[in-house]
Amino acid sequence: MNKLFQKIYFDPYIFFSIFLLSMLGLFFLFSASNADTSIVSKQFFYVFVGFIIMILASQPDPDIFRRMSGLFLIFSLLLLSITYLFGPEINGAQRWVRIGPLSFQSSELLKLAVPVFLANFLFDKKLPIQRKEIIISLIIICCCFFIVFRQPDLGTALIIACSGLFVLFLSGLSWSFMGGSFILLIISSPFIWNILLQPFQRQRIATFFNPESDPFGASWNIIQSKVAIGSGGLLGKGFGQGSQTQLNFLPETETDFIFSVIGEEFGFLGVLLLLSIYLFLLLRCFYLALSARDRFCRLVIGGLSLTFAANLIINLCMVVGLLPVVGMPLPFISKGGSSLVSLFLAFGIIVSMGTHKKFLPQ
Amino acid sequence: MIFEERQIEKNNFSSRATLLFGSIILGLIAVLIKVFSLQISGYSDYQLAALKNKNYAVPVQSLRGEIFDRNGKVLVKNQPTFDLITRPNLISDIDSFLDEIEPVIFLSHTDISRYKKLQKEKAFVNKELVLKKDLSDEEIARFNVRSFNFQNAFIAKRYRRITDYPEIFSHVLGYTSRTDDDYESMPEIPKSHWKDAELSYAHGLIKGRIGLEEIYDDYLSGKHGQRVYEINARGQLVQPLSFIEPEKGSDLFTNLDIEAHKSAAKYLGNRKGAVVAIDLESGGINVLYSSPAYSINKLSNGMSDTEFQDLINDLDKPFFNRALQGRYPPASTIKPAIGMYGLSNNIVNWDFEIKDPGFFTLPETGRVFRDWLKGGHGKVDMHKAFLVSSNTYFFSLAYQADIQELSNHLSSLGFGQKVCLDCFGEDQAFVPTPEWKYSMMNAGWVKGDTVNLGVGQGYLVATPMQLANYASLLATKGKYFEPSLVTFGNQKKSIKIWQDDRFDDSDWSKMHEALLGVIESDYGTARSIRGLKEFQVAGKSGTAELVSLDSKEAYQEVRASESLRDHSIIIVFGPMPNPRYAVSVIIENGESGGAIAGPVAIEVLKSLIDE
Repeated sequence: MNKLFQKIYFDPYIFFSIFLLSMLGLFFLFSASNADTSIVSKQFFYVFVGFIIMILASQPDPDIFRRMSGLFLIFSLLLLSITYLFGPEINGAQRWVRIGPLSFQSSELLKLAVPVFLANFLFDKKLPIQRKEIIISLIIICCCFFIVFRQPDLGTALIIACSGLFVLFLSGLSWSFMGGSFILLIISSPFIWNILLQPFQRQRIATFFNPESDPFGASWNIIQSKVAIGSGGLLGKGFGQGSQTQLNFLPETETDFIFSVIGEEFGFLGVLLLLSIYLFLLLRCFYLALSARDRFCRLVIGGLSLTFAANLIINLCMVVGLLPVVGMPLPFISKGGSSLVSLFLAFGIIVSMGTHKKFLPQ
Repeated sequence: MIFEERQIEKNNFSSRATLLFGSIILGLIAVLIKVFSLQISGYSDYQLAALKNKNYAVPVQSLRGEIFDRNGKVLVKNQPTFDLITRPNLISDIDSFLDEIEPVIFLSHTDISRYKKLQKEKAFVNKELVLKKDLSDEEIARFNVRSFNFQNAFIAKRYRRITDYPEIFSHVLGYTSRTDDDYESMPEIPKSHWKDAELSYAHGLIKGRIGLEEIYDDYLSGKHGQRVYEINARGQLVQPLSFIEPEKGSDLFTNLDIEAHKSAAKYLGNRKGAVVAIDLESGGINVLYSSPAYSINKLSNGMSDTEFQDLINDLDKPFFNRALQGRYPPASTIKPAIGMYGLSNNIVNWDFEIKDPGFFTLPETGRVFRDWLKGGHGKVDMHKAFLVSSNTYFFSLAYQADIQELSNHLSSLGFGQKVCLDCFGEDQAFVPTPEWKYSMMNAGWVKGDTVNLGVGQGYLVATPMQLANYASLLATKGKYFEPSLVTFGNQKKSIKIWQDDRFDDSDWSKMHEALLGVIESDYGTARSIRGLKEFQVAGKSGTAELVSLDSKEAYQEVRASESLRDHSIIIVFGPMPNPRYAVSVIIENGESGGAIAGPVAIEVLKSLIDE
């Protein structure tokens, strides 16, 4: 057994914190789904598959990922366009691709493909990186963003954009360039508001700034989420005892608002414990990024783990009312196979990047 | 890449990664602070909001207290009836359910269509729904035998407000009817929940209207209970959480007397009029009857619109409470009051005599005021003036009165004011004054007006309640109690004292003697009722003229129209010499006070004394 562990690439800190998160996730999901065992066992299956994928993905040498990154991006985009053309429409959005009995949200793969590809593209460029390279990177980011955005899936699109921008930033984007683009973003914001955003997205943002304007309509979700969390108090109402959750006042308890369930049933201490695990996981990723063997590995670990962190922060801020409502699951906890499997894949890659050391010529 | 370059790149990456990870940690801290503010600082608010979401409180209707007469016999009670209640959420097929239950319970088309309209909504939210109200005994028996077939239905008790004497206590008891503003009694339950109130009365949420039911509504109505259900986001009842039992209202023990009321109703018959009787020892009102009356049972438990309209449009005005609101000229019954005024102001004394030619001529204008007896009563002193009810005597007495002082005197006897402590809608009628006449008729007060006042005609009007109060003042020689329908055990009786230094005990004795003579002597105007009883009674009768006429002959023409005939009035108290009860009776268009109103008063007095 020990020999096996010595042979495989494995990070115990990441493994156990993810194990803890996904077990807690199953536990919370049981309560959030009003004790629906079919949902929980399905999720358990995904967790199981996820761990296998994570361990498998940890094994190849980072160079293999590097060489495959272009192919990976093209494959993801291809899958996405298939979805766009043929996928079934669910809730007004085409996000799913069906492979036999399994359906997969193809945009999830882009969250991984974009940062890995950009890391490969940028890792050997001289500092500071040149305008040409920046523009090529931005074009790739924008293309991926818009393809997903038109589905429409603002949440995932934002995460994909973030994942690309994180890599770009970490690889040495000049500050003056960033300042310039920030000003440009401010100037173009009315255009974004009026032309790019769907009416329901505009509504959500408007609701965010004035939640009491329409307590039974658009802001119902966020008000009920706050009531659920707030009424949990220090210790929570207990497992399966949250009235907001169990009596369906809280919407989307299994997916986007599962954090509110945790807040309601396990209180401030439960939230503190959960956030500590996330923090531990992120700090471990930070350590791995700093100690990785080369620039490519650093960029990939940084890009993927920060993407994960952005995903986490956006979900948390949304359910506690710090950000407008965007569809974004709580990583490792929310129901949903695609995002879970892609998360495990991402951490498999992170482990691969963090544990493979270059054998210096002796 | 050369080594230094790699080092620069690594440092650059480290600082940028630190920046990003640092911001992520800041983000986590921001979330934690926000969660802290929700869960720790804002806990009580959000906990309340969560409870408000899930707790659905409905009122549980309390039973009203019952009403009793002075002998402890029940006047108004809560009578159980039985309704068939269903749980629509347990009924899978509504048509087959109705088919199954129809042989057991008779269902009308309106029952069925109403039920079908509401059942879906009630089934969705897990609420109960009434299928049939007021089941018959056979229906109950049939259902009970088959109840195992109907897990989704049950029989529940619902009360009705019922009196065994619906027609003789109408005005004084009042009735109950459905109310929409009961939610004000329990502000902790939101208004929108009241439609789901758990009812104790078949008629719904009720409130006292008129009479004792309204005056003592707070006392009778008790306190609603509360049942709290847990509901989910769709408004479905999930489970009951808590229950606070309703508190039944307090029972009301009144001074009313069933037997005396029965006598009043019986002897008044279908004539219009009113009877008021007061217990002199307490001021308790034993009889407060107005005729014609209406059925309060029907009003309390759902009267059809046409029946209600008929009552409203009835020319005899059954809703009009004549005992408290009827304004009648007191006619000759005012004479004791005028006599008291004359004696205490030294205008006359008991020995003062006049010669009565049958009329009084007003010196200023020569206007003639006629006596009821053509040719007059001859020599008349005050005692005789009461016995024979000499108008001429009181015309000439009133002629010498100062109208302002006389008005004050009448007011001191309770005229022109509300006299009852707890009567519903009592009218205060009025005592005329020069100011009143000027403002109402834009004409000055003339001496003739005062002269008319001397015999209770003209502008003075009084209610039967005021006359009974006045009779009890006379009977108790000025030491009487404020009339009230209810006397609480611990409540101090409010004694009222009428006093005038110039009207002493011997005056009172002579007054009683004279009023006794009105009925018991051979010359008394009300001597026709002397033989109706075994005890002695004092009193004064009157005949209120509705049209002012100069002669008896002219009246014969007026008689043809019933509504213009004189009202007959009497006030009595007895048994003498220690009176216990005072009674006033008015019979509209009854003519001749003593002979018509008298027997009614005597019968009421008899049933009060017999107990």
